Amino acid sequence: MRTVPRAVAAALLALGVLAGGAAAADKIRVVATTTDLKALTEVIGGDLVEVDALARGNQNAHDLEVRPSLMVKVRRADLLVMNGLELDQWADVVVQGANNSRVIPGAPGRVDASQGIRVLEVPATRVDRSMGDVHPLGNPHYTLDPGMAPAVTANILSGLVRVAPQSRPVFERNRTEFLGRLDEAMTRWTKLLEPFKGAKIVVDHNMWPYFLTRFGLVQAGTIEERPGIPPTPTHLTRLMALMKAEQIKVVIMAPWGDQKLAERVAQDAGAKAATLATAVGAVKGTGAYLDMVDYNVKTLAQALR
Amino acid sequence: MPRWIVLTVIAAATLAPAVASAQDAEALRKELDQMRKQFETMKESYEKSINSLSERLQKIEQAPPPAAAAPAPAAPAVGQVAPSAAPDPGSGGMPSIMDLARPRQPFALYERRGPGQLLFDIGVAGDFIGNLTQKNVQQAQGGTFSGLENYFFPREIELSLFGQIDPYARAEVRLEAGQESRGQEISVSLAEANLTLMALPFNTQAKLGMMRNRFGLTNQIHDHDLPFIDRPDVFVQFFGQEGLVETGGEATWVPPLPFYLELLGGLFNGDNETAFGLGSIKYPLVTGRARTFFELGDFGALQLGMSVANGLQADRLNNLILGWDAKYKYTPEGWQHPLLTVAGELLYQMRTVKTPGEEATIGVDGEEIPGTPGRKKTLDRVGWYAYGEVQPIRFGWLSLFSAGFRYDWTEYATAPGHQWAVQPYLSFMPSEFLRFRIGYKHTQGNTPGCCTDTDFGSARIKDELFFQSTFILGAHPSHPF
Repeated sequence: MRTVPRAVAAALLALGVLAGGAAAADKIRVVATTTDLKALTEVIGGDLVEVDALARGNQNAHDLEVRPSLMVKVRRADLLVMNGLELDQWADVVVQGANNSRVIPGAPGRVDASQGIRVLEVPATRVDRSMGDVHPLGNPHYTLDPGMAPAVTANILSGLVRVAPQSRPVFERNRTEFLGRLDEAMTRWTKLLEPFKGAKIVVDHNMWPYFLTRFGLVQAGTIEERPGIPPTPTHLTRLMALMKAEQIKVVIMAPWGDQKLAERVAQDAGAKAATLATAVGAVKGTGAYLDMVDYNVKTLAQALR
Repeated sequence: MPRWIVLTVIAAATLAPAVASAQDAEALRKELDQMRKQFETMKESYEKSINSLSERLQKIEQAPPPAAAAPAPAAPAVGQVAPSAAPDPGSGGMPSIMDLARPRQPFALYERRGPGQLLFDIGVAGDFIGNLTQKNVQQAQGGTFSGLENYFFPREIELSLFGQIDPYARAEVRLEAGQESRGQEISVSLAEANLTLMALPFNTQAKLGMMRNRFGLTNQIHDHDLPFIDRPDVFVQFFGQEGLVETGGEATWVPPLPFYLELLGGLFNGDNETAFGLGSIKYPLVTGRARTFFELGDFGALQLGMSVANGLQADRLNNLILGWDAKYKYTPEGWQHPLLTVAGELLYQMRTVKTPGEEATIGVDGEEIPGTPGRKKTLDRVGWYAYGEVQPIRFGWLSLFSAGFRYDWTEYATAPGHQWAVQPYLSFMPSEFLRFRIGYKHTQGNTPGCCTDTDFGSARIKDELFFQSTFILGAHPSHPF
């Protein structure tokens, strides 16, 4: 006889869990594939949205393991914000396992954050994998460049409006406020890096062309000989010779990259190695989008001095 | 000349130009009015145009800017802007039945693609095996790759085509070629061809067609993607060399719970001759699976699953196979691959068989001894395997190596007895798309009444050395957990 009350209690518990979910359903549930897109969505959506990211800030978003826990997040989403340049191709497998028709390809709840941006490094010739893990649609790391934020937030705004058209004025106001703060910060950042315009820099992985170009810096080489493939000793020797010849002062490294190798290359070539945040939350103190860019600009300026 | 004539001529001569002048003025006035009207019309038209242009300009100014001062290309080899051509999502929510029923232009909608890419993804996977074993194992054709002992052969060359059919469905077609016995010509066959309806109501999906069934952890994985060289022994014993591949349909539901739970139910022909074989949808093979997943802290993750397959054999006797599986991965912070993977599966088979009856015989006294009819009985059979894999180095060339170990123990599906095997293996992956493996497998069978005189030809004890090379050309979907 004890089974009946237990079953009732279990059912009530289940209902409680579901009711908890329903209470949270007042907000627009957004899932972004990266923390950069999550942070920008939070800025636009404000209190009206509840945003989750699939990749953690300190993870390499190129190759994420598709875990069912990611599918749970997407299962509940009203909107899925994606990079759009195949940085997060794995998200399609997540969507397939999430059984959520609101965010399948072509659905209104899907946002391609790259629409309308000027994409760099779009291959002008046929590409194959002898070139490494190249991105056929162009370099996907545009969110590291604060100058791309107006376009990215415009895409996010359009997506949010598709889901909640009645909240358009709020989203627009939030975006305008954010762009105002971005403008102020941009002036500050530009001034900070102004003295180093034209400086040459080496990076571990080719993910900084948007950021460097924005501030007039030049990427002179990469530790990876080809994207996604570990460097050969010959390549490293050649790179260090180049760094010495060109008097390159800084090697930018990712928090998830081979930091020991980057530091060794920098040391041998008489340069400094600087860890920059590859995404929001990648390093301590970069929990918001403007904080991330601020951290990167200040760290780089410090290293270039 | 009379005076009145002269006066008339003078008056006419004087008045005639005045009349003409009055007529001209009238005409000019009319013309002027006409021109004024034309001017008014033109003015209105221009005002309309100007207003329209002003409105457009205002809209453009109010709209968000496309991008702040876009940077120039960083390298000379790169191209310029790739204007986005992705389809603008519609404004509707879940498609209605009418939406689904409406005929659509084939290939009208597809994702944005780079230059030279087709409308769907194409990939080729090549998997080559070499194996060395004892002479008696070869003679008995009792090796893991039966009939191909001491031989190099292409196990699976697979052409995959997959992508969206339309906004509501995606499809996957896999053709595969492989060598099944020594010296035999390589044949091409259809490995999978199915479509998945992704926009069904109540968060369900349906997959229809020919597919590798989602039974346990490894059955749905193609040979080249297996985490070890050969299929686990229990699957080979219970489902045959290919595993469970069926034609039919299955539906999945992910209920709205705070943790992941996937429930699956399917109906299939039951063509698998090793386990079922009736091959009729009047008495279909029924499959089911429940899968759940837990994050254990920031770095560990555990997946648990339970599967069932119930169908009729060719002699219309039932076969029920249950499966339980578990997989754990530990990935330290910032690592791009798991440091440790541990997984295992257990299968339990309840197969109904009919024991042969005894015919009536004549006794010594000439009396007929009645025979006994055959009777049904259930064969309970169990088998399992477990494996562990480590990839202990994080960076550099050594990070491309991983080492694993698998232990198999299984009873035979119908015959008495069981076998066990141990298999250490080492993998080297120069990139995500190329892998080499070497492995050793020791198998020992224990069949009552077997092999009492000699091991020759029995292949009761097998020692095998495997070599495997696998490549992927083109597109390949991301691997699930």
